[in-house]
Amino acid sequence: MTFRQFAFNNVIRNKRLYAAYFLSSLFTVMVFFTFSIFANHPALSGNEMNGSVAKGMNISAGIIYVFSFFFILYSMSSFLQSRKREFGLLMIQGMSMKQIRLMVFLENMLIGFFATLGGIFLGVVFAKGILLIAENVLIIESALPFYFPTQAIIMTFVSFIVLFFLISLFVTYVLRSKKLIELIKGNKISKGEPKANLFLTLLAVLLLGIGYTTALLAKGTMVVAVMLPVIIVVIIGTYLLFTQLSVYIIGKLRKKESIFWFKTNMLLFSDLAFRMKDNARTFFMVAMVSTVAFSAIGTLFGFQSFLTSGIKDVNATTFSYKSSEKETEKQDVEFINQTLKEEKITADSEHMEMHYYEIADDSRLITKESDFNAFASLINEKQVEVKDGQVIIVKYEGPNFGQKSHLPEESIPLDSGVTLKPNEETVISSRALPVNDSYYIVSDSDYEKLSEPIQNQSFYAWQVTGGESGIMAASEKLYNHIERYKIMSVEYEIYEIMKFYGPILFVGLFIGIVFFVSAGSFLYFRLYMDLDEDKQKFLSISKMGLTVKELKKVLNRQTAILFFAPIIVALVHGAVALTALSHLFFYSLFKESVMVLGVFLLIQIIYFFIVRHFYTKQIKNVL
Amino acid sequence: MLNVKQVSKIYEGKIAYPALTDINLTIDEGEFVGIMGPSGSGKTTLLNMIATIDEPTTGEILINGHNPHQLKKDALAKFRRRELGFVFQDFNLLHTLTVEENIVLPLTLDGKKVKEMKQKANEIAEKLGISTIMKKRTYEISGGQAQRAAVARAMIHGPKLLLADEPTGNLDSKSSRDVMEMLEDINKKERTTMMLVTHDAQAASYCNRVVFIRDGKFYSEIHRGDNRQAFFQKIIDTLSLMGGDAHDLSTIRV
Repeated sequence: MTFRQFAFNNVIRNKRLYAAYFLSSLFTVMVFFTFSIFANHPALSGNEMNGSVAKGMNISAGIIYVFSFFFILYSMSSFLQSRKREFGLLMIQGMSMKQIRLMVFLENMLIGFFATLGGIFLGVVFAKGILLIAENVLIIESALPFYFPTQAIIMTFVSFIVLFFLISLFVTYVLRSKKLIELIKGNKISKGEPKANLFLTLLAVLLLGIGYTTALLAKGTMVVAVMLPVIIVVIIGTYLLFTQLSVYIIGKLRKKESIFWFKTNMLLFSDLAFRMKDNARTFFMVAMVSTVAFSAIGTLFGFQSFLTSGIKDVNATTFSYKSSEKETEKQDVEFINQTLKEEKITADSEHMEMHYYEIADDSRLITKESDFNAFASLINEKQVEVKDGQVIIVKYEGPNFGQKSHLPEESIPLDSGVTLKPNEETVISSRALPVNDSYYIVSDSDYEKLSEPIQNQSFYAWQVTGGESGIMAASEKLYNHIERYKIMSVEYEIYEIMKFYGPILFVGLFIGIVFFVSAGSFLYFRLYMDLDEDKQKFLSISKMGLTVKELKKVLNRQTAILFFAPIIVALVHGAVALTALSHLFFYSLFKESVMVLGVFLLIQIIYFFIVRHFYTKQIKNVL
Repeated sequence: MLNVKQVSKIYEGKIAYPALTDINLTIDEGEFVGIMGPSGSGKTTLLNMIATIDEPTTGEILINGHNPHQLKKDALAKFRRRELGFVFQDFNLLHTLTVEENIVLPLTLDGKKVKEMKQKANEIAEKLGISTIMKKRTYEISGGQAQRAAVARAMIHGPKLLLADEPTGNLDSKSSRDVMEMLEDINKKERTTMMLVTHDAQAASYCNRVVFIRDGKFYSEIHRGDNRQAFFQKIIDTLSLMGGDAHDLSTIRV
């Protein structure tokens, strides 16, 4: 047996020990690789808009790389930590430190090489599979075809071989000047329960508090300005939260004997404290990675609903036509009616002249009662009754494109010298007219007395009552024939947005899911690393008498804390991030946020039950 | 107190292997009994069956007239926790806990009041002379101290039967003597019934009676008179008669 054979056999015949380390490396490679497949996707390079998307993705890839480096470094050091005894034994047999380093280096390169290859392979298969599903389920019309990602493969391979090489060199540092006796006693000695520093604990609370408050208070473009500092502050805060605050809380709990000495709590908390150093890093990783996933998906989802709801909220009718050019108007309306007939669409239609008046240096629409009611009845909304001298304000509730958010309060001068004063009691909301701002309704007789309008627009609307299947075809014809700014078909507009936005949304969703899955796997591997120790522990306790119910209770809580502590932090982070985002657009993302975060929580809960089942089974097997 | 009736244990496998055959053993209330025999003679198997960790293939074991093997799994766990005490060769202390926490562990599982647990822990620590190390972690104390802590843990709930599996196996001679004297003391003062499995003739000489088994069968039994020294000599004689390998006997030390 040569030395190299020994190193090789040591890995091959000790699969289970290496499995956890190998799999976490493999997953890390896979995350990075699938990400770079999309970052380098030909469909995402080219025009300017996509160019900035690709740039954003490359920056994210860089962040993932840095995270991967620390994650793999950390996995390796805890892996080596668990093998201290083995190294001690080898040294007793006369192996020199140099040989041990060489052995670990060889092992690590071997594992790294296969993890890189495996991760790339799995990534290709996974991406292909997802794209296949996507093509059949989503409307992306082969906008994101599968391509053989040569560039991504080369990039991933080179980056990770370099990464594993650097990490292998770090072994020298990890294994520095260990005394033989320390190695042999190895895992009996605590890796050190981190001591909580009161100052850092308070700092954690303070940083998170500042980060959250700033994020929640910022409005409009301020959000962009404070984004980077808030992210940095929150990242540091989260790190301290897990490494300091959690240790501090557990330390306090340990001291409180009425809690710590209560039933199985002792088993639970002592392990938590003991493993806190390892856990804290995993928790931090998982919380950050999940936050990125939540925020990315939430943002994309929210942005989509922002765009489409902008159209839907304002335009209640199926088709509408707006024009201030008298010459083409008649011809266009004729054409629209003709097209609807051709496509066998029946529709109710209405027409009105929209008059804009200058009020307090602002151009504002004033409409008369009868016009408003005609359009309100077209979409089955409540009609209004306006007395002479009364003004009703229709409040604008759609997304903000730079309008004044407060209600107009200016009074309207009439030709008769009387002024109409709007008051706050007569504010209604209605989708009857497609206007991107608040407007007034006055009575028909008051309307006659208004001065000259500054702007005139002819407005037609069609509400389809039958033959809905022809809408898309009709829209296509109309959009080809009439200028885009005049015609509006809600369904067609949304279709257009989806067509453009679909691929980006899909990539975002995909990346979010990959991130989330890998976060779950990190947690699983964390648990897995403690399996042997747990088996040993529960075996000795069960000899003294531990019922199955008590065992399950301890394992249940232990797994629950591992699975939900980081995710809950990530959910809170994500919720704050999405709230800040909604402040940027002045558009409530509450529904979308709840949906996205809820789905993730649900997946995590399912994941928890599966992992708990297998872990409990493993432990019960040895008892 | 303890009645082992016609107990046999056969380990199933490719070749069935009889670990114990027709063992009969009675231990009275307050007795301190040692089980000796060469490696592979079935001592630990017997102990495990009495400890209810393992089940006999045939025969029955009665503790205070009841057969614990008929209990359901959870009830059995509670039975072990409340009625039995265990001392192991490798101490089996949880290294994530302090000595004090290790000692009260069986009580916490039963949901006892903190005040009561504290009081009991302090009493027993006082008795066993480990009061000063109560707040220490297991890797900060010596083997002898660890075994005392383990004995304290086994005794804290006042078990009816204390089972010790090679309690001196990992200890130096001074610590061994301390631990054995301590067990003898507990046996005399608390009248706790004890059963000890050991290789160590020195340790066995603290018992009232030593039962020898060989190849899974009862071999002989000797009683201690007043003189521990003489008893020790008798044990050595029996062991050499029994023909165990020389290395099974620890070197003679007095």
